[in-house]
Amino acid sequence: MSWQGELNRYMASAYKNWIISKRNVFTLFELFFWPMISLLSIGLLTRFLEVDETMVSFLIVGAIALTILQVAQIDVAYVLLFDMWSKSIKNTFITPVKSYHLIFGALLFGVVRGTFVFAILVLVSRYLFGFRFMDGGIFPVLVFLAGIFSVAAVIGITVCISILTFGQKADVAAWSLSGLILLISGIYYPVEVLPPTLQLLARAIPLTYFLEYYRSIFIPGPHNLALGTALAALYLAVGLILFDKSIERARRTGILLRLSE
Amino acid sequence: MQDRSIEAKGICKSYKSLFGARSTVLKDVSLEIDADEIFGLLGPNGSGKTTLISIFSTLIYPDRGELRVLGLDARKEKDAIRNQINISTAKPNFPWSLTVKENLRHYAMLYGQHGSDLTRAVNDVIDAFKLGEYADMKFEDLSTGLKQRLSLAKAMLNSPRLLFLDEPTTGLDPEMAIKTRRLVRRIHEEEKISVIMSTHYMPEAEVLCDRIAFLRKGEIVALDTPQNLKNQLRLGEKVIVLYQGRADVLELEKVPGVMSLKNLPGRAEIVMDRKADSLDRIIKIFSEAHIQDISIKEPDLEDVFIELAR
Repeated sequence: MSWQGELNRYMASAYKNWIISKRNVFTLFELFFWPMISLLSIGLLTRFLEVDETMVSFLIVGAIALTILQVAQIDVAYVLLFDMWSKSIKNTFITPVKSYHLIFGALLFGVVRGTFVFAILVLVSRYLFGFRFMDGGIFPVLVFLAGIFSVAAVIGITVCISILTFGQKADVAAWSLSGLILLISGIYYPVEVLPPTLQLLARAIPLTYFLEYYRSIFIPGPHNLALGTALAALYLAVGLILFDKSIERARRTGILLRLSE
Repeated sequence: MQDRSIEAKGICKSYKSLFGARSTVLKDVSLEIDADEIFGLLGPNGSGKTTLISIFSTLIYPDRGELRVLGLDARKEKDAIRNQINISTAKPNFPWSLTVKENLRHYAMLYGQHGSDLTRAVNDVIDAFKLGEYADMKFEDLSTGLKQRLSLAKAMLNSPRLLFLDEPTTGLDPEMAIKTRRLVRRIHEEEKISVIMSTHYMPEAEVLCDRIAFLRKGEIVALDTPQNLKNQLRLGEKVIVLYQGRADVLELEKVPGVMSLKNLPGRAEIVMDRKADSLDRIIKIFSEAHIQDISIKEPDLEDVFIELAR
């Protein structure tokens, strides 16, 4: 297999997601409507509460992180969700494609869409609420985005594993899991306000560290970017291994056939 | 070329229900299929045809048993097998909003095709399956026949050496079914592709398949050529006599070669050994009656199926 052929196995998922997205009116909601609702509601809340600039940055960083995480994670999950909804999962798994081709191909499209949404939200937050997201510098922004996208990949992989393990009803995980992660990782508040047990859980979620890292640019405070990065890399590796195992399990249990009927 | 497309020994498969109960779908299936034949899997609903095809195509794994596909170990060389096989299923499904061309392009990419080779592969199957005028039509807008053609086109994208067809003409109108059968025959003969197909439709198996395995409750109950199966089961030809007036029909049972008799008012259905040459004696029994019509029906696979499904 040439490198172009191998590359195309990755690109296949991005290609499918792109075509489906461009023909789906719901894409407009995913890329514009919900992100704007999320940002505007938080931005207006900061006006109403008359919070200072540091608090504005705290909340808007959270709102932007929430939005791009949700956009990117659903793109990863879509790689199996679209196949499951159209009952064509059999056609995908009859090919010699690997789990990592599917995930990274879909993630690539998620990164493109997430970056697009990020750019819009950065512009809107600057002109409507005076928050200059990019003041942190290009490198911290890239680190922050890489962190968010890696967490999105892990959530998307978890959704895919759920589909292959529990079948059609597992698609609810696609919408609920990211909400849960965001709640625990301190999306609009420091994790210190959480109950002690949830704080422990928050410390196991890499998103917590990426939020703390980027917020520390506007509100100086402690952060542990290295731990966040290590956790994200670990979860991504484990997630890929488990996804691979869940495909093999679905072949043993026959759930791959049932998902195509 | 590999002599055998499939070598299966002791294949067993069962599914677990939500409550933990296991239902056995395949019991100790052993089978050798030559590379140069079109092989048919026949059987009633739930007999295990689709499961067996899914196992042969490495889509799902057996609980037990040994399997070699195109001479490759299905446990250790799955990727090599998947590169050389493909499948077209009954009631084909593809991502709805992708057009014919986009769907083919997507699956060609999953097979690792790229550049001009990818474009050529997609265009070739579009031409071969006469999908040109529908190339930009979304899958959800295609008729059942076109969906089936797309499925067959997809199955040829990677130039497979072994093609699995799971009920390829289900849902097609008779004309399209005939065209599809011709297509399968052409693919097999011209492209030298081994074909393993399942079907409910007996004439289809009779016309296309070199050999047939009958499955019942997950077991192979008969395996041979269509003609040998008919011979082995001693399925006689059916002579149907429509008559008016009086005839001593019960005398027919004494005629050599008569295997069974169904006596209805004005109609007698006699199943007789094809080797017996007793037609003149049968006609004599109706000599006092007025014979309106006599028809002789050769046994077909439908009869074999009914016999084996008992």
